[in-house]
Amino acid sequence: ATLCFQAFLQMCNLPIRVICRANAEYMSPSGKLPFIHVGNQVVSELGPIVQFVKAKGHSLSDGLDEVQKAEMKAYMELVNNMLLTAELYLQWCDDVTVEEITHPRYGSPYPWPLNRILSYQKQWEVRRKMKAIGWAGKTLEQVLEDVDQCCHALSQRLGTQPYFFNKQPTELDALVFGHLFTILTTQLITDELSEKVKNYSNLTAFCRRIEQQYFEGHEKDSSTIAARSAKRSLLR
Amino acid sequence: MAAPMELSCWGGDWGLPSLHPESLTVMAYAKFSGAPLTVNTINNSWRALKGDLPVLVSEDTVISQPAKILNFLRKQKYNADYDLSAKQGADTLAYIALLEEKLLPALLHTFWIEAENYCSVTKPWFASRIAFPLSLYVPGKMSREALKRILLTKGGPPLYSLTEVEAQIYRDAKECLNLLSKRLGTSQFFFGDTPTTLDAFVFGFLAPIYKVCFPRVQLQEHLKQLPNLCRFCDDILTCYFRLTVSGHSPAGQDTADANLQKLTQLVNKESNLIEKMDDNLRKSPQHPPRKLTTLKLAAGGEESSPMSRLSP
Repeated sequence: ATLCFQAFLQMCNLPIRVICRANAEYMSPSGKLPFIHVGNQVVSELGPIVQFVKAKGHSLSDGLDEVQKAEMKAYMELVNNMLLTAELYLQWCDDVTVEEITHPRYGSPYPWPLNRILSYQKQWEVRRKMKAIGWAGKTLEQVLEDVDQCCHALSQRLGTQPYFFNKQPTELDALVFGHLFTILTTQLITDELSEKVKNYSNLTAFCRRIEQQYFEGHEKDSSTIAARSAKRSLLR
Repeated sequence: MAAPMELSCWGGDWGLPSLHPESLTVMAYAKFSGAPLTVNTINNSWRALKGDLPVLVSEDTVISQPAKILNFLRKQKYNADYDLSAKQGADTLAYIALLEEKLLPALLHTFWIEAENYCSVTKPWFASRIAFPLSLYVPGKMSREALKRILLTKGGPPLYSLTEVEAQIYRDAKECLNLLSKRLGTSQFFFGDTPTTLDAFVFGFLAPIYKVCFPRVQLQEHLKQLPNLCRFCDDILTCYFRLTVSGHSPAGQDTADANLQKLTQLVNKESNLIEKMDDNLRKSPQHPPRKLTTLKLAAGGEESSPMSRLSP
């Protein structure tokens, strides 16, 4: 998720500095990461940040007409609904991944027994949420199939254009980039999730293009920061 | 030929075939794609306890969620999305996600959590459809599940109280309705002139908001300000479900034409049979040739005469 914001802010040509902190969740006004700190204002979450940036005079979706804006919002919900939930599922409901990767990573800043307690608590919370929205009964194959369907839809929508709404990048491009890049670059037990995404060559080309255009042109260690943020965003 | 398929779902009222959004979606899709479903509305059944209506039963397979039911129907060759391009298929997925994220919480809230609505309308209605003692338990269970779903998906910080969550979800729902209205524009269905999966889903979510008479109706009032969405719901109800607002079959032009067509087909079939009999009789040597009046088919009120001659 961090990557979505970085991409978005860089698409708006706003200079940013990324800082990783262990107590970041507490610093954020809503408890959710990431958040931005501008002057004496602190804003968190994609929706409010986009509006904040818009209020300051930068917006990526001004060139869209009403129907396209509706489409953009719908696709953003699709990404949130499918990709985000699938990422959460994979991190917290797939037993193998949970044991070997998520628990150690989530609990690493804390001493024992706090690390175990906190990660179990988070796992229980995520599982409750999955149950409420009906994902608890899904097997890993079904989740991967849903991800595949979502990527298929995104790939169809993107087609051969450089961005989702032709020439200009929008919030949707930032969001999709953030999620897909995270999926493609994070090491998990199996590569099935990233394989699903790699099946769609226009999506991988899209990620590479945005990475080259907006991230490599910047400070030299932006890629390490991006990688570290990618790892941290997987924890969320 | 496909095996006979039976759908169990919640019944309807206020001019709708069903009050439950998911049941309504499946019923609408079945009508659009021409799937022959027998619909069983729940009445004094224990199936409601499991709470996962609608349920489709076909031979030995039992399928429960709307998305899975629609997939099954498509595999049985009842596909309403046949004419859609790949991009339109992708748009369908996106808009369905939008409906589920933005509109469904408010819909659940209006039905199950808003105290006045729940106590005066929802609970009595659902309780009347289930056997005692389940009627004491199931509505409460559905209400608790709805609340849990809303709080878990929408209720994190910075929204700390239920009223703040409510305000947010109604804002989201109104925005979603506005977006749908813009997307529909002036066309009859979302993708041109034939209804598709997306139309089924939108209808399933909008119709209960539009038609059910609640004491607290902020979402309905907002919907009524979007005339193209109201027209969309009414069109589907009259064309595919043959119900007007009052719930009776209309004597409108559509029905008359359809009936006329059916009648003409029937008369044609009968006249073909009669001509065959006529030929047979002519060929057989025992009987003198008889003159059978050939039936002339005429439009309008003259069908009554051939019909009376055909009746034994």
